[in-house]
This record gives sequence, structure tokens and C-alpha cells, in this order.
Amino acid sequence: MPTKNVTDERLSKFKNKGKDPAKLRAKRITECVELRKAHKNENFLKRRNLTLSSLPDEEALSPDYIPNEDSNNIPVIQVTHLSIEDIIKDVNSDCRKSQTRGCQAARKLLSQERNPPLKEIIDAGLLSNFVSFLSMDDEPTLQFEAAWALTNIASGTSWHTQQVVEHGAVPAFISLLSSPMLHISEQAVWALGNIAGDGATYRDILIECNVIPALLSRISPDTPVGYLRNLTWTLSNLCRNKNPFPPLSAVQQMLPSLVQLLHLSDKDILSDACWAISYLSDGDNDRIEIVVKTGIVPRLVELMSHQELGVMTPALRSIGNIVSGSDLQTQTAIDAGVLNVLPKLMRHPKTSIQKEAAWALSNIAAGPCKQIQQLITCGLLPPLVHLLRNGDFKTQREAVWAVTNLTSGATVEQVVQLVQSGALEAIINLLQVKDAKVILVILDAINNIFMAAEKLGEMEKLSLLIEELGGLDRIEMLQNHDNEMVYQAAHNIIEKYFSDSDTRGEKVDATEDAFVFQSPDVQKAFEF
Amino acid sequence: MELNDANLQTLTEFLRKTLDPDPSVRRPAEKFLESVEGNQNYPLLLLTLLEKSQDNVIRVCAAVTFKNYIKRNWRIVEDEPNKISDPDRTAIKANIVNLMLSSPEQIQKQLSDAISIIGREDFPQKWPDLLTEMVTRFRSGDFHIINGVLRTAHSLFKRYRHEFKSNELWSEIKLVLDTFALPLTELFKATIELCQTHATDVNALKVLFSSLTLIAKLFYSLNFQDLPEFFEDHMETWMTNFHGLLTLDNKLLQTDDEEEAGLLELLKSQICDNAALYAQKYDEEFQPYLPRFVTAIWNLLVSTGQEVKYDLLVSNAIQFLASVCERPHYKHLFEDQNTLTSICEKVIVPNMEFRSADEEAFEDNSEEYIRRDLEGSDIDTRRRAACDLVRGLCKFFEGPVTAIFSGYVNSMLAEYAKTPRENWKHKDAAIYLVTSLASKAQTQKHGITQANELVNLTEFFVNHILPDLKSPNVNEFPVLKADAIKYVMIFRSQLPKEQLLQAVPLLITHLQAESTVEHTYASHALERLFTMRGPNNTTLITAAEMAPFTEQLLNNLFKALAFPGSAENEYIMKAIMRSFSLLQESIVPYIPTLIGQLTHKLLQVSKNPSKPHFNHYLFESLCLSVRITCKANPATVSSFEEALFPVFTEILQNDVQEFLPYVFQVMSLLLEIHSNSIPASYMALFPHLLQPVLWERTGNIPPLVRLLQAYLEKGGETIARSAADKIPGLLGVFQKLIASKANDHQGFYLLNSIIEHMPPESLIQYRKQIFILLFQRLQSSKTTKFIKSFLVFVNLYCVKYGAIALQEIFDSIQPKMFGMVLEKIVIPEVQKVSGPVEKKICAVGITKILTECPAMMDTEYTKLWTPLLQALIGFFELPEDDSIPDDEHFIDIEDTPGYQTAFSQLAFAGKKEHDPIGDAVGNPKILLAQSLHKLSTACPGRVPSMLSTSLNAEALQFLQGYLQAATVQLV
Repeated sequence: MPTKNVTDERLSKFKNKGKDPAKLRAKRITECVELRKAHKNENFLKRRNLTLSSLPDEEALSPDYIPNEDSNNIPVIQVTHLSIEDIIKDVNSDCRKSQTRGCQAARKLLSQERNPPLKEIIDAGLLSNFVSFLSMDDEPTLQFEAAWALTNIASGTSWHTQQVVEHGAVPAFISLLSSPMLHISEQAVWALGNIAGDGATYRDILIECNVIPALLSRISPDTPVGYLRNLTWTLSNLCRNKNPFPPLSAVQQMLPSLVQLLHLSDKDILSDACWAISYLSDGDNDRIEIVVKTGIVPRLVELMSHQELGVMTPALRSIGNIVSGSDLQTQTAIDAGVLNVLPKLMRHPKTSIQKEAAWALSNIAAGPCKQIQQLITCGLLPPLVHLLRNGDFKTQREAVWAVTNLTSGATVEQVVQLVQSGALEAIINLLQVKDAKVILVILDAINNIFMAAEKLGEMEKLSLLIEELGGLDRIEMLQNHDNEMVYQAAHNIIEKYFSDSDTRGEKVDATEDAFVFQSPDVQKAFEF
Repeated sequence: MELNDANLQTLTEFLRKTLDPDPSVRRPAEKFLESVEGNQNYPLLLLTLLEKSQDNVIRVCAAVTFKNYIKRNWRIVEDEPNKISDPDRTAIKANIVNLMLSSPEQIQKQLSDAISIIGREDFPQKWPDLLTEMVTRFRSGDFHIINGVLRTAHSLFKRYRHEFKSNELWSEIKLVLDTFALPLTELFKATIELCQTHATDVNALKVLFSSLTLIAKLFYSLNFQDLPEFFEDHMETWMTNFHGLLTLDNKLLQTDDEEEAGLLELLKSQICDNAALYAQKYDEEFQPYLPRFVTAIWNLLVSTGQEVKYDLLVSNAIQFLASVCERPHYKHLFEDQNTLTSICEKVIVPNMEFRSADEEAFEDNSEEYIRRDLEGSDIDTRRRAACDLVRGLCKFFEGPVTAIFSGYVNSMLAEYAKTPRENWKHKDAAIYLVTSLASKAQTQKHGITQANELVNLTEFFVNHILPDLKSPNVNEFPVLKADAIKYVMIFRSQLPKEQLLQAVPLLITHLQAESTVEHTYASHALERLFTMRGPNNTTLITAAEMAPFTEQLLNNLFKALAFPGSAENEYIMKAIMRSFSLLQESIVPYIPTLIGQLTHKLLQVSKNPSKPHFNHYLFESLCLSVRITCKANPATVSSFEEALFPVFTEILQNDVQEFLPYVFQVMSLLLEIHSNSIPASYMALFPHLLQPVLWERTGNIPPLVRLLQAYLEKGGETIARSAADKIPGLLGVFQKLIASKANDHQGFYLLNSIIEHMPPESLIQYRKQIFILLFQRLQSSKTTKFIKSFLVFVNLYCVKYGAIALQEIFDSIQPKMFGMVLEKIVIPEVQKVSGPVEKKICAVGITKILTECPAMMDTEYTKLWTPLLQALIGFFELPEDDSIPDDEHFIDIEDTPGYQTAFSQLAFAGKKEHDPIGDAVGNPKILLAQSLHKLSTACPGRVPSMLSTSLNAEALQFLQGYLQAATVQLV
């Protein structure tokens, strides 16, 4: 008789019993209130003063640069520093040349490093002029300067962006995308990226205005790399933001191109394309499924080893998102070799990479015991223990989750391996962290490990081990913790595993000198 | 209630009465206040009184009453009436901050508490202006007011230190940061400046330093959950000033009090906590500041004295260093040999010294001393912190640290050797140092289990521990004696056996030491040594090896109980228990004297049981006396009964609740020794055991069930004959127990004993009712535990009364009941039955149903025959099904059910496994084969045909195996 299978089946019944397995996965679905500074290593929501690749000479972007006539499409206009009043006068004049001069002066003011006068320009009422210049196909210089000025304004706060949009810039920019002049088209790409980056609302307005087909049509084998970089960035902003997510149809439209971009070698394109994927996969399993279906997972796993941090980070984030999905989705990442890459990332010098890697691991550890086995076989326990011991606090927190998730889904043998790898000792040391949630999660893991020990009949051995490791002292101390749940969890562990069992019962009513033995006369038929 | 003078007057009267020491005056006043507190304006009357009353006592009393009123009533519970009217709520919130700030400190504290209770419910949504109102007060320049604000803020924000992250919590913190962080920072800077301008004004400094302490606490709360952007941006300001404060000393602020921590200590202590928080959680951002803090804190430690008032500061400061030195990237801060040496010399060694406060505790408060020194409740002591630092440093620097300390240990021992009388404390510190250095892992059960290999423990034992133990005067240098005993005790697993054997008689001698700590340690050490395991699962130290010392051991242990302060010393009593257990029959000659002393002790403690552990070991020792003596000579049981019953009677009559479960267990033990008859003295007690009041106490249930089982086993016949009128009461107990999910297995233990031992005819009239009750419970609440017990019972009944009787009684309750039980319960659930005896009962019972029940062959039950056989074979061959349905996961299941009472609070009162089938059936598989063979010869052809049509192939194969083993064939 196949005894072994029977046992396995039984064990699978035990897995996560009493718990909702979906909750084990620490997903980033809701946008959380943050106390910290915004993430430093994520890509920019909006950009100003970016290199515009289509300009032949990059120095052209310097606000002090005065281009020479004939060298390109931009005619020479001598600009000294005009005052706002002069700019207003110029822009409002009927003379194209003055308009161009005013516009360019405005653009330069708006490009200055410190405190560009965004509000002053808006208050001067110049936006409607700029927007109207956008449609002047016969005045490419003016068109370009206006586009640049508006781009810079749109790179400001939400209020600034709002001004640009409300002056009708969106349709004008979208038509500019098809400008035969590459640098003008690229300026439009950039402006639209800033608008999309403002948030879900403008992003969706752009999508409704059919920005996506207009953008995608500019991708061709001949498109210069620099242009593609900007375009990828704008696409990534169109994928960005939740509540709500971008419409599925838009996602479907963009994905094939993103996949294509991901196979290029330029690091900036790769970085933004990865960010785009990371936004798209940062959602429920249906969103993840759309990404997984494109077959991009192996490439993303490959990019996790990219030498550029800017690529590695979003690739890791994307895979992290994917392994927070269903077991099947997680399996695609495992099949693509994520478990071979993670150990290296877990020992990466950047703590942010360690943290993200530990987070991804914690989600894989929340899977079924078959995936846990793969995790163990690929040698993930030693780096996990390394992080528990040496990681910074945020990394340790993720690593603790990995341990707890693992202990709630693993077979007894797997739990034994985990304990032998030193994880128990490491999490016990972490019982002194100043974070109630982490402590609770550790206590949960200890409880799970006890449940495994119970099946092996090694409860006493485990109790002694925990005591030796200083865990008993720590858990006893946690009985004084101010957090009710921590106190309760610690108390339960002490009661259950470290003290002689108490007995309890429940009240049943009775009176007299003895109980009355009787059963009711009338009764329904028994049916079990 | 109007807000008028008359009501204020009345309220004043009643408040005054609540302070009356006479309960007959106080209670009615309290009741009155409670009865009127629901009225509108009541809280406002209290606020008026606490502000305006002429009598200071009334003001404070009103404040306390107000706070308690808020605590009870402010929270609005869903579906319950709002207990405070909305106008009152608004008025309270509008006035309380002002009132708090303008009140004297005693009242301010109460109101501050009240504000935080209200804040917990209403802040921020329903009390949006609270913070701005508070922050504006920072500008008042009046530090009495500012401190009031800070204190209130602290009580509002301190929950950020322990609550879980949530969007709601973090939104609140964000809001607090937005309004509070900048003003707090400004206040912090301004306060520090004021400290400089008022550097010579002690009164001003005191107020300013309490502000700084509160500000530092607020910093901790606000930074606890995560590093806020604001504080990251202002880290320079905060950390530079914290660092400055750590290094600051002002003679004016030093206190003369040796015990109570002064303002400087409190502030620095909090700063250490703040630094530790940043070092632990915000390492990356804090890194630039950390080395400075390490230096400052370590200088602080070097310059801080031994007084108790510095304890918290020193322990926090050392813990900070201990947590930092373990982190790989700070290793370099400690690496230098000079640094290590001076940490050892100036931080660790001084804090391991035995202080006068320790000496006082050793002499006058031995319980506290033992708790700290032996049981590890020394968490926040200096010694513990120093130990933790040693362990932290050993992570990277074990070799150098051991070498440095070896030097110190040697020089301290040399100091001691020169003039022991003056320098004995040096030796104490040396021993402590060796212990902390050597111990890498420790448990209560085994002592130190992993030692630093660089320390030679045996050598140290021979050269420095043994001489103290051997010194003829046990009362000289008691602290060093206690240290030496403790050394043996904790290193017992590391020391060779011959050293331990050498120590045993010396430890016995020290039981006579006058010092409580010393003789307690000696008892404890002996007890621990006696529990050590040797080869082959025996004790390491054998009774034979103890023979020369037996008499002295027992004498000294009992004499030690006579020392003042040790009359109920649990360590001594535990050592007595353990000695009995180790020595076994060699204690028999002493028992006649000892049992008298034990019962005398029992009588004394039963007057007022206060030491549960002592009492427990006392009962264990009694059990051991009984078992060991009666094992050699069962007839002596009556002499124990003679000695014990008078005390037991007293305990039962006085209803000493703590002791009843013990008494029942000892009685069970005594009764079980009797051979097959029940003495009249027990029968007299029988009716009393059925009293419901005893069964209402859950602690009584397991031992009482066991006692009743003993009654049934020894006196089933007697009960049927002379106490038949008590049978319904007995079954009533069963009925009560069966009704409870927690106790139903106990009900089955009882029922099984009734079925097994009561003459069948005495039960005839009750049998059907018993089954009906079981079926009812099965119908209403079918838990896995119940089913397992039910299956064992049904099969036991079948074994005892026969399969036909079982089938008939089922079917008499409801037609086709037997089939339904087989199909719905037995076949699908039998795999869950656990325990060897339980499994055997089920196997034999099912075999009987299969082979001795005609209805199984000839009626519609026949279709169940093969499935039942298949289930039985699975029961033999498959692993036990230990799954529990999801919905049962959260039921509290105290004991796993088994045939035996699992309750064994008294380890030495434990009873042997009882097997009602016993040797009658050796191998149930063979019995099945033989029974099937018998059945097949009775109706040839039918059995093989039933097998071949529906038994699955694997099961059939197993069955063939059984038939072969039994050398029978089916026909």
C-alpha cells in the first residue's frame, strides 16, 4: 500500500490549517501611508532638464548655450536674460520672432537649476499662448520652445501639471508625437511622460486620448536609442500608479512593446521597461497573470543579475511581485531560475537589494512544500540565515517573514532543515527588536516549529534548545510587552511548551447532592 | 444634575465619604456616585470641584474620580448606549487642557491621564484642535505648563511604541509629526540653550531637565514605527544635542540619594535608548553618528559610580554597546586590543562586582536574591548587562577577551588569597567572570550545556571551588560558599563524574549552613545532580553511591526545613522529593519517622497554602513514600492511611481547594494498592465524591475521575451490593462530563470503568439511557475527540457484553441504528483511534462484530460486512489519521483522549497503564484470522465469496498474511 503518499496527503491537510494561506503572502496591494522619505532609488515621476537625444548637440540644453545659425533647425536668437515682463510682451506680440524669443527666454528661465519661476509664468497667463504655439507646424522652433517650456512646467507639482493640462495641452502634445521633426516629437513624449507621471487621473485621460498607439507607432528599428529611452520612460509612467490601475486594455496594448524593449541592451531602456513591468505586476493575481502570460519572466530573472543597479532593482521588484501571486505564477519564476539568482542578491552590498530579495524569498516560502523544497535545494537557507543575522532592520523584517511563511507550509523534514540551518537561533536573537509586528511574526514561527516538533515527538528537545539559545528568557520577558497580542502570544507559548500543563473545563449546570442521570423522553430520530 | 452649589455641596460630601477608612461609610458613597454618574453635568461638576474646591483633598479626590469616570465611560461601545452626553463631551474637551495646565502637579497628572484616555478614542478625528492647542503652549515660556503639555503628549504618543503598523496609526503619526515635530525640535533647542543660561540655577535646571527627559521620550515614541522624514532631515540637530547631553555633567544636578535615579540619569538613560533604537532600526542613516555615541556611552560607563541609582542607566548603556558590538560592520570599533582591554577592565569587571546592595539582599532578602541569581530574573541588572556584553564581544573576539579576563581572574584571586577577609568580593567577581565567560548555552534542566573551550572548568573547580566547599566552617564567607555551590550546580554537565561525587557529601554538609541562600543553593544543587542522566537512561549518581550519605542527607534536608525563613522552602522540598526518588528502597527504614514530619508539615501548610511549589513537592514526596514502602510490603498501606486520613479529613472538611486534587490523587494511589477489596473507610466517603460542588471545579475533575475509577476497580461489586442507590449519581457524573467538549473524554474514562467493573445486572436498567445520551451528544456536537472516545467505548461494550448485545441495544433505540453507526461512524472514523490499548479494544470489538453477530450475515447489514473488514485491515496497516477538521482547530483540547486518565499532576502518583483485554488477546490480527476461520466453518463458502467480490486487493493480501500467520484457512 502506498503509505508514503497517504502521509503526504495528510500533511497537506495540515498545511496552514486554520489560516488563510492568501494572507501569508505579504503583498503590496494597498498603498501605505509612509513616514519615511520617498524611495531614493526608484525612478522619477517627472523630469525636467533631461537630455533630449534628438538634439544633435547636447550642449544645446545648457541654458546659457546660444546655438549657431545653420548648424541645425534652431535659428539663432540672441537671448540675454529677459525679465518676465519682457517675456510676456514678447510672447503676446504678433511677431513670430518675438514670440520665439520670448518663448525661448521663458524656457530657459524654467530650466534653471534652482527655483524656476513656474508659478510666475503661469500667473502671467502664458500657458494658453504656449499651447497654441504647439500646433504651429510651420514654426517648428516656436513649437519646440513652447513644448519645452510646457514640459518644464508640467514637471512641477500636481498643481503645475494641472495648469498645463487644463490649458488643453494634452491633445496638442499627442498630435505633436507624429511631428516629422524627431526632437519635437521627443519633446512631446517627454511632456506626456510628465503628465502621465502626475497620477492615475491624468494617466487615464492620456490613455483615453489614445496616447498609446501614437507613442507605440514611433517605435521602429530605426528609432534612435535616446528617443526610445524617453519613450520607454513615458510608457512606464503610463503603467504607473494604482487606485485605480491603468485599464486592462491599455496594459494589453503596451505589453508587447515593453517585452520588445526589454530585449534591447541599453541600460536606461531596460531600467524603465523593468519599472513598467514592476508597476503592472504590482497588483492582484489577474494583473500578474497578464504579465506572466507574455513569457517575459525568464528575461526578468536574467535581468535580476544585470550589472546596473538601475536595471537589477526594478527587475527584482517585478519578480518579487510575480512570486507574490499564485503558486503557478510563482512556479514560472522558479522555473526561470529565480532561486539561483536570489542568493547572490541576498548578499548584494546594497541593503535595498537585500531587502527586496528577502521579500521575494518570503513570498516563495509561502508556497506549497514542493516549492519550499526547491528553495531549500537551491541553497537559499544559508543566505536567509545570513540576512537574519546581519541584514539591516528592514531586511531582517522580510527575512523573518520568510521564516514564518516557510514554517507554516513546510513539511516536518523541511522545518528540521530550517532549524538546523541556524534560522531558529537567528530569529530568537531578533526577539529583542523594537517592532511589535516582527516579534509577533517570530513567535508565530516558533509556534509552527513546535508543531513540527510535536509530530516528531521532540517537543522537549526543542524546548531545551530554545532555552539554550536564550529564547525562553526572551519569550518570558515578552510577557511584559505592552502590545496585547505580543503578550498573549508569548504567554501562550510559555504556557503550552514551557510549563506543566494546566487543565481547564467548562461550566455545566448541576445541583443537589448528586447529579441527576436522565435523558429527555422526547427526542428526534438520530441521524449522524 | 444642575451645575449649582447645592449639587457641588452634595458631591463634596460624598467624595469625602469615599475616603473614609470604614467600609460601611465608604461603600455606600461609592455606590451613590456610581448611581449618579450617568447624569448630564456630572463630569462637569467634578471638574468644577477639582478646580475650585477650597479643600485640597477634595480637589485631588475629584480629579481621581474624574479620571476613573472617564476611563469607565468615555469609550463608545457599539450597540451600547453612549454613557456621556455629547454636550458634556464637548465641554470636557474644550476645558480640560487648560484646566490640566493650570492645576498643581498632583491634579495635573490625573487630568493628563484623562486626556490621554479621551485622546485614545477621539484623537485626531474628533479632537482635531488638541495638538495645535498644546503646541501653542510651547511658546508660553512657562515650563510648568510646557511640562504638562509634554507629559500629556507622552501619554498620547507612547502607544506608537507597541502598536502594530496600520494605515490608520501611521496617518495619525503623520498628522502628529506635521504639527508637532518642528515645535518640539524648536523647544528642544531652546531648552538646551536655557540650560546653558541657567547653568547655575539649580531649580531652573531641574525643571528644564525634566522637560528634556520628556522631549527625549517623545522622540523615542515618534521615531519608533519608522524613521520620519522630518527627523531624518533634522538628525544633525537631535543627535548632536543628544550626544552633548550624554557627555554633560552638572554638579548641581547630582543627587545625594543612592537609590533613586536623578534627572541626569533618567535623561541619559533615555538617550541611550534613543541611540539604541536608531542603531537597530535606522542603521544606514545613523551610521555617521554611531561611533561618537559608542565613545560617549563608553566614557559614560567608565565615569559612572556603583550606586544603585545608576543601575538603569548603566544597564541601558551596556546593552547599547552589547547590541552594537555584535554587528559585523561595527566590529572595527572594538577590535583594537587597547579598546577591548579597557572595555573589559573599566566596563565589565566593575559591573560584575558584588555590591553592598547585593550583600544586603543576600542577607535580608534571600528570596529576591535567589530569584535574580538563580532563576534569571536579573534581566535589568548590571551583572546581567555585563554578561550580555561579554557574550556579544565573544562573538568576534573570544580569544582576546578570554585572555584579557584570565589575567583579571588571576589577579583578583591573588588579591583574595592575600587577605581573604578583606578581599572575598574579589573572588566572587572572579567566579562570576569565569561563569559568564565560560557559559555559552544554558538551561534550567541541564545547567550549562555549551562552554567556552578556552576556559578550563575542571581545573578551576579543583583549585578554587573545592577548597571553599571543603572549608570546615560552613558559615564563613557565605557568599563565596553560595558561589561555589552554584558553580557545581551550573557546570554539572561539564564536570567529570568523580568531581561531582566528591562534591555531593560537601553539599550535604552545606545544607546545615545558616545562610538561607547557602542551604537553598545546596538543596538545589543536590536536586539537580540527582536528576542527571547517566548511561542507559539511569541516573548518573546511583542509590548505591549515595548509600554512605543517605542518613545524613535525609537528616540535613529535614533539619534545613527548620531554619527560620525556610519552613516552606520549595528548593528543599524538591530536594527531598528527588532524594526519595533516587534512593528508593533505601529510604524505607527512615519512612516511619519521615512520614510523621511530612504529615505534620502538610497539616501546617493546609492552614494557609501559600507556596504552590512547596506544596506540590510535599505531595509528591508523600506519594513516593507510599509507593516505595508499599512496593516492598503492600500491607503497610494501612499505616499510611492511618497517618494521612486525619489530615485529609481536615482538608476535605475545611474545603482547602488547592489541596483537593492532590488529596484525591494520593487516595487513588492508596486505594489502588489494596488487593481487590475496598475498605469501609473509603466506602463511607463514596457519596461525598459525587457531590456536584466538587465537580464544578475543573481542577478536581481528572483526579476525581481517577479516584472513582479506583473505587470501581476495587469495589464495583461492593457498590452494586451496598450502594446501588448511588449508581444514578455516578452515572450523573458521567452525564455531566459527557456534555462538555473539554471533559467528555473524562466521562468516557468513567463510563469505561463502570462497564468493565460493575456487575452487568446492576446496570441493565440504565444501559439504554447511557447510549441515548451518547447518541444525543454525537448528534449535537460531533468532535473528533468525542468520536475517538465513543469508538473505544462501543467496542469495549462489545468485548464485554458481546456483539449481539451491542447490535440489539442499538436497534432497540431506533430501527437500523446499528447499521447507521457502523456506516457513519465506525467505518469512516476508526482510523483516528490512537493509543495501543485503545486500538486493541477497537480491533477486538470489530472482530467480534464481524464474526459473532448473525445480523451482519443475514440482514441488510450484510452490505457493511466487507467495508467493515476493510476498515479493520486499514486500521491495522495504515498510519493513524491524525487530521482534524478545520472547524475544530480552534476548540481547546486540553488532553488528548486516551483510555487512561491523562491527568498526572503528581508525577509520582501516576498509575500503570490498564489494559481491560490484557493477555486474553495477544495479537489482534491472529484473533481476526482465527475468528474468520471459525465463522467460515459455520457457514462454508460465504466468507471467501464476500472477500473475493468486494475486498480490495491490497487488503486481501494483508488478510492472507494474517491467515498464514495463524495457520488457518477459510472454507
